Amino acid sequence: MIDDDRRALLESPCSLVVGTVAPDLLPDATRGWAVVVDAREGTLRLLLSASAATSIENLRATGVVAVTATEFQTLESVQVKGRVDGIEDPSRDDRARFDAFCDGMVAAVSAIDGVPPEIVRRALPDDVVACVVRIEELFDQTPGPSAGARLARVEA
Amino acid sequence: MEDASTVTLSEITACFEGIVPAVIATASADGVPNVTHLSRVHFVDDEHVALSNQFFSKTVRNLSENPQACVTVFDPRTYDSYKLVLRYERTERRGPIFDRLRRDVDAIAALTGMHDVFKLRSADVYRVVELERITP
Repeated sequence: MIDDDRRALLESPCSLVVGTVAPDLLPDATRGWAVVVDAREGTLRLLLSASAATSIENLRATGVVAVTATEFQTLESVQVKGRVDGIEDPSRDDRARFDAFCDGMVAAVSAIDGVPPEIVRRALPDDVVACVVRIEELFDQTPGPSAGARLARVEA
Repeated sequence: MEDASTVTLSEITACFEGIVPAVIATASADGVPNVTHLSRVHFVDDEHVALSNQFFSKTVRNLSENPQACVTVFDPRTYDSYKLVLRYERTERRGPIFDRLRRDVDAIAALTGMHDVFKLRSADVYRVVELERITP
């Protein structure tokens, strides 16, 4: 469902943003802090800030999630939609992935925006939780008139 | 630490300069979220912001079904971030807000050589019903 290029984008230190929704349909936006794709299982493991209380509460209540990854320079973007099967404490691998993502993201943003790395680091969370997302749909989200075009869908 | 309840839109105008892209989450009427980046959120007054409507996007479709959104913006000097909960109020197709957004869209189109792609359809004005500083 996810080809190698889009998997590489999702797993890169990109701009990773996450949408959730409450039972009363109020949406919430937060940032993601690393993804790893399990293509065989059709899932991805998404790290969220442990302080993202509204998003985590929404995921526990409705389970539905949208994750968009955007490459900082080219703005190439892909959006995954799916359902969260579980929210867990981070593993040792998650923490290593989080650290690597943050290092890469800070370097990229600092280079593009000309902002000192210590300023960008102010946006980083202290801790994360891990969400297992069952992938249901995949969309091209690159800015322009074709943004939102469906690339793949898992048939029920 | 800053008291989130005292933050006003006019105190965070640096977030609306279009330097760091914003993020918008919406949801369809049947509860499917959508999340994407926004090049810019426009300050209107202390209770309102405006977003440019350029395409028949999923965000626009969701907002026609469920007129509420969550937007996060960054202060480009400090990287503090803020969450805005928005409720759709009105659409403008002429007037000063529309003209301001059109100049911005035209500038982006000129920079990218995409005049035929980026064309402002309307300026959508939203009431900000909640504003809070985000703890990372």
